[in-house]
Amino acid sequence: MQWITIFQKELLENARNFKWIWVPLVFILLSVMDPLTTYYMPVLLDNFGNLPEGAQINIPTPPPPEVFWMSFSQLNVLGILVVLLMSMGLISAERKSGVSEMVLVKPVSYTSYVTAKFVSTLLLTLISAFIGLLASWYYVNLLFGEIPFSYYIGSVSFYSVWLMFIVSISIILNTAFRTPGLVGFLSIAALLLASAINSVFKTRIEWLPPQINAYIKGYLSTGSITDDLWITAFLTIGVTVILLVASVFILRKKELAA
Amino acid sequence: MNIQEIFQAVPWVIIAPILLIESILLIVALIDLARNDSPNGPKWLWVLIIILMNIIGPILYFIIGRRQD
Repeated sequence: MQWITIFQKELLENARNFKWIWVPLVFILLSVMDPLTTYYMPVLLDNFGNLPEGAQINIPTPPPPEVFWMSFSQLNVLGILVVLLMSMGLISAERKSGVSEMVLVKPVSYTSYVTAKFVSTLLLTLISAFIGLLASWYYVNLLFGEIPFSYYIGSVSFYSVWLMFIVSISIILNTAFRTPGLVGFLSIAALLLASAINSVFKTRIEWLPPQINAYIKGYLSTGSITDDLWITAFLTIGVTVILLVASVFILRKKELAA
Repeated sequence: MNIQEIFQAVPWVIIAPILLIESILLIVALIDLARNDSPNGPKWLWVLIIILMNIIGPILYFIIGRRQD
């Protein structure tokens, strides 16, 4: 019951901040951008490219799954940046301003405080990603060729595991530091570090969380869910849970010390 | 190619939703700015940023312009 109250408070706050309007819209724009520019690239070059008269450029049309994947990679850069910057003050700003103390002085457990914030942010991110990628799927079908709807469902489901991991990184840094700007910076750095570690070790350990993107891309082109994809997804969920448990511990320790 | 030809060459059915989304973002940002008593920085500057910087302006306002606390 208590968890639901805090969760509702978070949802209300997100609604008052207009987050429920602008985050989905930004995700739609980001995911639709690449399919459209790829489709109209020849026309754009023709009209505005300032090419010398008679120049010939033949750009082969990429296959539909590849275009659909472009939306994922666009979200992986700018979408994730938006998520991290949006959530950087989630707990840290409340701790700085003392709001969290006023919440936690009531019989509210640290666990429900942290998980309610995690779930509300995750819900917003996931729904935005679902809508954005649905728009992209629609445009790819219209402009490039058919992708089965089941591919959309499959890829988006596995992609949400990756988004879950990202939100949990932001949450743990939120509990550890009090300055929102620092949290934003460190979470971006942590993600870059994670993908760097992944690219160094991916030949030895094939199931590190960032590797899930490569498997989703593979799933989009072949249509079969590999064991690697399952294992990576479960490992990513495991790491997310560990990060959340650790955030609760860190917050408890910091609040008791303060 | 004169302006009229360019105007006709644009595939409006496909571009229209994007323009719509952009304008919703812009309007929501301006409404929020109007109701915001203490934005992070001068108000008139945010109005200029939101209107002049396509897409990025409203996002910048929502992330940086509203105070985090």
